[in-house]
Amino acid sequence: MAYALRAYSGPLMLALLLHLAAVAALHGGWVPPQELGMKAFKPQIVHSTLIVMQPKAKPKPRPAPPKPAAAPPAKAPAKAEPRPQPKPQVQVDLEAEQRRRQEQERQRRLAELAQASFAEALASEASELAQDDDEARAQSYRFGIYQRVVANWSRPPSARNGMQARLLVELIPTGEVIGVTIVESSGSGAFDRSAEAAVRKARTFNVPREADLFEAHFRRFSLLFRPEDLLR
Amino acid sequence: MPEQISIFELVANASLLVQLVMAMLALASIVSWMMIFQRWFFLRRVATEVDQFEAEFWSGVDLRELYTELEGHDDLSGIEKVFMGGFKEFQRLAEQPGAEVDSIMQGVQRGIRVALNQEEVRLGAHLAFLATVGSTSPYVGLFGTVWGIMNSFRSLANMSQATLASVAPGISEALVATAMGLFAAIPAVIGYNRFSARVEELMKRIEAFSDELTSILHRAAGARAPAPK
Repeated sequence: MAYALRAYSGPLMLALLLHLAAVAALHGGWVPPQELGMKAFKPQIVHSTLIVMQPKAKPKPRPAPPKPAAAPPAKAPAKAEPRPQPKPQVQVDLEAEQRRRQEQERQRRLAELAQASFAEALASEASELAQDDDEARAQSYRFGIYQRVVANWSRPPSARNGMQARLLVELIPTGEVIGVTIVESSGSGAFDRSAEAAVRKARTFNVPREADLFEAHFRRFSLLFRPEDLLR
Repeated sequence: MPEQISIFELVANASLLVQLVMAMLALASIVSWMMIFQRWFFLRRVATEVDQFEAEFWSGVDLRELYTELEGHDDLSGIEKVFMGGFKEFQRLAEQPGAEVDSIMQGVQRGIRVALNQEEVRLGAHLAFLATVGSTSPYVGLFGTVWGIMNSFRSLANMSQATLASVAPGISEALVATAMGLFAAIPAVIGYNRFSARVEELMKRIEAFSDELTSILHRAAGARAPAPK
């Protein structure tokens, strides 16, 4: 017994150490690559400049916001006051009136959107360091949303490079889409519908569980659909 | 969007049978690594002992002196035991007056053979365990995997909307069992092959030594036998 203890305790320790090291390596190596990929690298390459610039660029050139070269759909974190989701309804007598009201509403909301984004941009500049981490994480989720929307988007044959439609998407904290509104039409009904359908088909998005991060970036955000990779 | 699943969650979520299989494989892996380390140190020590003893034996020392010196020790190495086994018989039989050379040598060879067998058993201990782990643990792991995949497909059958995301975690967790089986098996097989080759080599050396010893003792017996007459 004593001999067995003497002869085997060393090897047993070594074996246990080796397995612990293997488990630790597995644990360390299993999770981070995904996290890193999600958090830092991909989003920066694809989106960071766009997102930062959007709030400032938006207010003035309202009809057609000039965009630097961008990946097809772009999103901006945005806040606006709660608002029931308006579905375009066909009512002949009220149509003109309604359209006008909608237009006003839209203008107002966009202005507010811009205001809010602008304020947020200012705030973010003030406390840049504190927000850096949050921003990076929001980016990773944005990238996830972007991928999901792109995967679900089937563009109509009438789509052309340079067309753009902006959608306002409203989510609830579980990530389910509860509202999609076309904020800025591309001029082609089919294109607008395809964009809206892409969001509706996605149904749910992966959103951060932290309430403040969700409220800040994902409760309501706008999506810009603009194909740039088409042949025609 | 897939959640980032840690491997530990996978293991924790697996079904009981798969978990049992995994626990068995983890245990097999730990024990086989223990054996590997133990054999490794042990065989290395035996090799240096053989080197040392051969050097001492061939240094021209008187065999009787060597015998009396070794008699005091009780932790003899394998090759020393072979020497002792042969030489003790030689001494005992050679002291008897009128002993034939052949009968002396038979006794010597018997003593050597006993020591050799013991040494072979001592060197080859645990190798059978390594061989067993090496050959069976992939199957055990595969069993766990098949079971896990079976279950995850069965639960898929009950779903109205089948998506890849609903089976993928189950399959992934089932595959952990195969990975563990391979993790346990590969070192065991390598260890088994390496150590059995090593044991063979050491046994060859000890056997060669025992042959040399026999011939030396044979000469000594031949020289002794006619002398009294």
